[in-house]
Amino acid sequence: LSLSRPARLFSSGGIRSELGRRIQALPSFKTQPQGAMAGSAPEKKLNQVLEGHPGSKMMEEEYPEELRTPPVSLVALFGCSELHSSITNHLHSQQPPINALAFPEFSHLPLLLLAHRDHPHVINNPTFSSFRDPLSDSSVVPSGGILKRDWLLKHRTKVPALVAAFFPSHHISGDPTQWLQVCSNLDTLKSVIRPKNIKLVVVVVQSSPHEVISEDRLLALRKRAELDSKYVLFLNHSELPLSLPRIASAFSELALAYYREEARRIKSRIEKRSSTSLDLIVRYCFKVAVYAEFRRDWGEALKFYEDSYHSLHEMIGTSTRLPAIQRLVEIKTIAELLHFKISTLLLHGGKLTEAVIWFHQHKSSYDKVVGSTEYIFLHWEWMSRQFLVFAELLEASSATVQSFSSLNQGTAQIPLTEFEFYPAYYYQLAAHYLQNKKSALELLVSMSVAAQEIDGSSESITPSVYVGQFSQLREKGEALTLHFITDEEYIRYAISEAKRFQDSFEIVAWLKKSYESFTNLKSRRMAAFCAFEIAREYFGLSDPSNAKFFFDITVNLYRQEGWVSLLWEVLGYLRECSRNLGVFKDFVELSLEMVALPVTSCDDFGNLRDKTYGPGGPATVSRRESIHREVFTLLCRETELISSTEESGFKFAIDSPLHLEIDLVSPLRPVLLASVAFHEQMIKPRSLCAITLSLLSHLPLPVEIDHLEVQFNQSTCNFVVRNSQKPLVASPSSTVQSDSQEENEPSLVLVPNNWLRLTYAIKPEKSGKLECLSVLAKLGTRFTISSRAESPAAMEDSPVWKHENYVQSLPTKDPILAVFGQKATQVEEPEPQVDVSLGASGPALVGENFTMPIVVTSKGHAVYSGELKINLVDVGGGGLFSPREAEPFSLESHHVEICGIDGAEGNDESESETGNIKKIQQSFGLVSVPNLKEGESWSCKLEIKWHRAKPVMLFVSLGYLPQGSEANAQKVHIHKSLQIEGKMPLVINNRFMLPYRRDHLLLNRIKPAPDSEDISSLPLNEKSVLVVSAKNCTEIALKLMCMSIELDDEQGKTSCLIQQGGGGGETSGSANLAPGEEFKKVFTVIPTMRTPKLSLGSVHLKWRRQGDYTEEACVSTKHKLPEVNVDASPLVMSLNCPPYAILGESFTYAITICNQTQLLQEAKFALADAQSFVLSGSHSNTVSVLPKSEHVLSYKLVPLTCGQQQLPKITLTSVRYSAEFQPSTIASTVFVFPSAPQANSTAK
Amino acid sequence: MIVCVSVVGHQNNPLYIQSFTDADDALKLHHVVHCSLDVIEERVNNPKTTLNEAFLGLLYPTLNYKVYGYLTNTKVKFILVTTDLDVRDTDVRNFFRKFHAAYVDAVSNPFHVPGKKITSRTFAQTVSNIVGSYGLN
Repeated sequence: LSLSRPARLFSSGGIRSELGRRIQALPSFKTQPQGAMAGSAPEKKLNQVLEGHPGSKMMEEEYPEELRTPPVSLVALFGCSELHSSITNHLHSQQPPINALAFPEFSHLPLLLLAHRDHPHVINNPTFSSFRDPLSDSSVVPSGGILKRDWLLKHRTKVPALVAAFFPSHHISGDPTQWLQVCSNLDTLKSVIRPKNIKLVVVVVQSSPHEVISEDRLLALRKRAELDSKYVLFLNHSELPLSLPRIASAFSELALAYYREEARRIKSRIEKRSSTSLDLIVRYCFKVAVYAEFRRDWGEALKFYEDSYHSLHEMIGTSTRLPAIQRLVEIKTIAELLHFKISTLLLHGGKLTEAVIWFHQHKSSYDKVVGSTEYIFLHWEWMSRQFLVFAELLEASSATVQSFSSLNQGTAQIPLTEFEFYPAYYYQLAAHYLQNKKSALELLVSMSVAAQEIDGSSESITPSVYVGQFSQLREKGEALTLHFITDEEYIRYAISEAKRFQDSFEIVAWLKKSYESFTNLKSRRMAAFCAFEIAREYFGLSDPSNAKFFFDITVNLYRQEGWVSLLWEVLGYLRECSRNLGVFKDFVELSLEMVALPVTSCDDFGNLRDKTYGPGGPATVSRRESIHREVFTLLCRETELISSTEESGFKFAIDSPLHLEIDLVSPLRPVLLASVAFHEQMIKPRSLCAITLSLLSHLPLPVEIDHLEVQFNQSTCNFVVRNSQKPLVASPSSTVQSDSQEENEPSLVLVPNNWLRLTYAIKPEKSGKLECLSVLAKLGTRFTISSRAESPAAMEDSPVWKHENYVQSLPTKDPILAVFGQKATQVEEPEPQVDVSLGASGPALVGENFTMPIVVTSKGHAVYSGELKINLVDVGGGGLFSPREAEPFSLESHHVEICGIDGAEGNDESESETGNIKKIQQSFGLVSVPNLKEGESWSCKLEIKWHRAKPVMLFVSLGYLPQGSEANAQKVHIHKSLQIEGKMPLVINNRFMLPYRRDHLLLNRIKPAPDSEDISSLPLNEKSVLVVSAKNCTEIALKLMCMSIELDDEQGKTSCLIQQGGGGGETSGSANLAPGEEFKKVFTVIPTMRTPKLSLGSVHLKWRRQGDYTEEACVSTKHKLPEVNVDASPLVMSLNCPPYAILGESFTYAITICNQTQLLQEAKFALADAQSFVLSGSHSNTVSVLPKSEHVLSYKLVPLTCGQQQLPKITLTSVRYSAEFQPSTIASTVFVFPSAPQANSTAK
Repeated sequence: MIVCVSVVGHQNNPLYIQSFTDADDALKLHHVVHCSLDVIEERVNNPKTTLNEAFLGLLYPTLNYKVYGYLTNTKVKFILVTTDLDVRDTDVRNFFRKFHAAYVDAVSNPFHVPGKKITSRTFAQTVSNIVGSYGLN
């Protein structure tokens, strides 16, 4: 595909490789790295498409090397050829480098100045052979052109700035013949270079540093060469590295001087401006600028290039040297050349903004210089080239510019915008101008017969010696001569040249570049525009597949942003592409999309200016209608008429069925909008429910539908609506069953922008969600459109474009349905006709296996594959808990758990049921219920055990199938729940009682340890009494089976002796406990070991509910007894007195103080007076009690009053322990009878 | 001469686009307007430049057109395409000021639905008056 253009301006040649190397060293020439383009599939495809056109560097083809690169000084070397290579290499490596022409022999001298005559155009041309040097005499003779084509190349490769003559030292100091040879060589050299002001250097080559050359000879040499001693250099073979830099510096100095002098010489001519013509000034300025470039004086070069450019611009309209067209061509060619130089210099100097402004000026000053309007294609081509070249220059230099936004945005006069810094902008415009050229040329060729005949083969027109000029090469016998040509001849030549090129490929290549870089810049719309232009170009080239690819890129953006007019145009192109590609489905889709666009303009000018419209035609209502007719004629044709496919553009028969799917994001949504609303949000199964189907089409013409199929997620609900005007065609349908509901409508016509509302009743079979999925419309015999159903409530307009010009109407007549209607509804479950009852209510007692009978009774439904789910849920916070109770809760310990399910009692069938699922976890159970016929029942018992008193929620749910084993039958569910209270059945208490009227001095009771407050203390080896009581705290009568105390372990058995009290009267401890009643049992405890914490074991209680006689129902409850402190008492005080007293009769009240220690105990006692008694004996005293002995305090008391009387209270204080203790109040009372009781005696 | 004016919504959808040329290059102008949205997007999203005013200035020159932009507080864009070579900044500013006022009047109509195309005939008339008076003073 790539077509290379030959260089049109210059013939290239010369020392390309050397300079190319230098060029690469310049950083600003680095090419910009391409953005990574890999990844997704469309990008890959794009890459493939783009790779078709390798990025052709137009710049390199348009301009020769010498223009594109800065010039390098040139020197010529004569003699001593063995040194040339090392000198040349050294000069190349200089900064700036110097090029060298090497001539081994002085005899080659004539070649030096003849060399530049080897011009390809001149070589066979005797008339041009006596070409005079333009510098010497151009001011005298009016020139034939502005710039000579080969001048720059000549100065870069042919005319040296200086000549270096190398002489071996022995030639100078040697014999006279050798010296004479040296002199004659010098003379010839001088005679050649003197007229051209070329500098001369003489280099004496010494073989050794010690070689001495006589002063006389050297002086003679200098005189002969007419040189300053500075320019007679010495070179040592042995010290080459030392000598070379000296030579190089002398060379560069002289070269600079040469170029400076040349420039000055020409500048002086410019100053005599009045006397010279404008074209000479242009030429002189150009030359001065080039010499400045040789000297690397970029500022001056720029200045003179600009002078030259401005002078050239003045020539427009004034110059008369050439025929009008060719004159303009020459001026524009040179302007382009100068512009190129200026832009290059500016961009390499980093002056991006200046370069862009310069281009702006360049473009605007030549924008209107069109020349002959008949041949305007020349202008367009030139303009295109300006943009292209600048784009490439900008692209090459853009690596050095980091960010455009930091740049100064132009000047006040010329504001610059961001895009003007992007090469893509220029590429795009270059392509645009080339498009102009292409169409202008096509117009020209089509208009004139003469132009059509031009084929370019007969002409022999070639570029002339002057830049931008052309001449005819004529053969006269042996000789070839160049002749001026007329404008007609030139135009013929230009047209024939232009016809040779396929501009489309270049347009596409540049646009692709632009597209790529705009895409990288994230300028999507610019990129889309480029893609559109590319696609249009491909379309023009009859390449529909490539065109389609790029149109698709564009169309997506326009769809997204709703640019209807642009979308219409692109769709028109795409429609043609699909027609050419023969893709019928695409064609239909695109046509329908176009037809449904909200295009409303009616101004259908009679003149369809096809040039500006795409193949889609103007975006008008009438055009929409005609496309509509076209596509529906194709779609709904009868089978017999298919023979006429040729005229539609399709090369094959299109009788295969066509199906289009429309979803919510499809661009075809306006073609058929289906809104479906159920009238009820909840419906009963097997009952009729109303559904409204509303269809809307934005097509411009009415469409008749053959039949509609409405599809639901429950396929049994699908139904068909038939148009009764259409013949019934038995068409096989995959979605609607043959026995499904069918409705008939007198007509099914979609009027544009009007809702077609249809209301039907459907009868859902199954419970659950019923949703309308899609509505399928069948048009004609083979064409179906399926549109996704939408809820009126959720229906949205397309986000960016709307059908503004129509009255918005509601999809349903009912406004509430139109706003809140849903395309889905909920079908309820059938009423359960099975009863589940929970037989008990509680409360449950902690510890027992609480039984909950569950009865499933069928009351109208048979139960198949029933499943009972049982769940226990903690009613957190439901009851009144003390926080302390809730505290030890953890996930692992379930306080309430299901112990077991005792299933199917009295139902043998269930045992044989193999699939009897029974899963029990602590709070979850699953039981399968056997199949039950109507009226049957089944029951099971659930056992739940409480470990703690807390309320629990019991959930029981039964799921069953009412209709046997139908695969798609739906389960019916019944839910029951019950809150059950868990309660403590018995509260167990215990109490310790010390021996009657014996008081022990227990030291830790006097001085209690801080932590042993609650612990009761028992004296060692004394018989204490333990009373255990159990109180029924429920509302249920309980039967207590037995109560016993069990010691924990061996240690407990040795340290303590517990006996049942009551003198062995074993009544098995069983007793009935009414609610609130208490049961007490007495035990004697004799601690045998002294320990601060004696474990007394626990009370075991066996009980059951009264009236429950099964053995299993017996529950045993444990109650741990508190630990006691066992201590030996040092002093024991026992009170002795008769069981009763008689009023007025004395009795003895003895207090025995027993010392149980090995020490002498001193005890103080004090006896308080009692009012009811007369007392004899000491009130207070201190007594000493011997170890292990007793002391008895004996009193005589006479009671004075009757009844229960308090004995005189004694207080004993142990001096040793400084502890005081008293007998308990109850122990020190006695009953006083008024007289001796008679009962006993009568009984006797 | 103003050849095209346009109102573009904040989803970059056209709300109003009207060209004022006899030639049939309306479609070309639509392309120009559409492409200029890229420049607006870049200018608005560029963190280095802060937009102090609604007037965005010259968006870009293309072919024979110059495109100017204006961004309202509600992110509605006004775009002006002109063929004039020398454009005075004040003229364009004046134009946009009047145009903005006309736009505000049009969308203040209680029957106008925000985000929909402006179909008011009064607005069209006002706009063509403003376009006609552009650059006269």
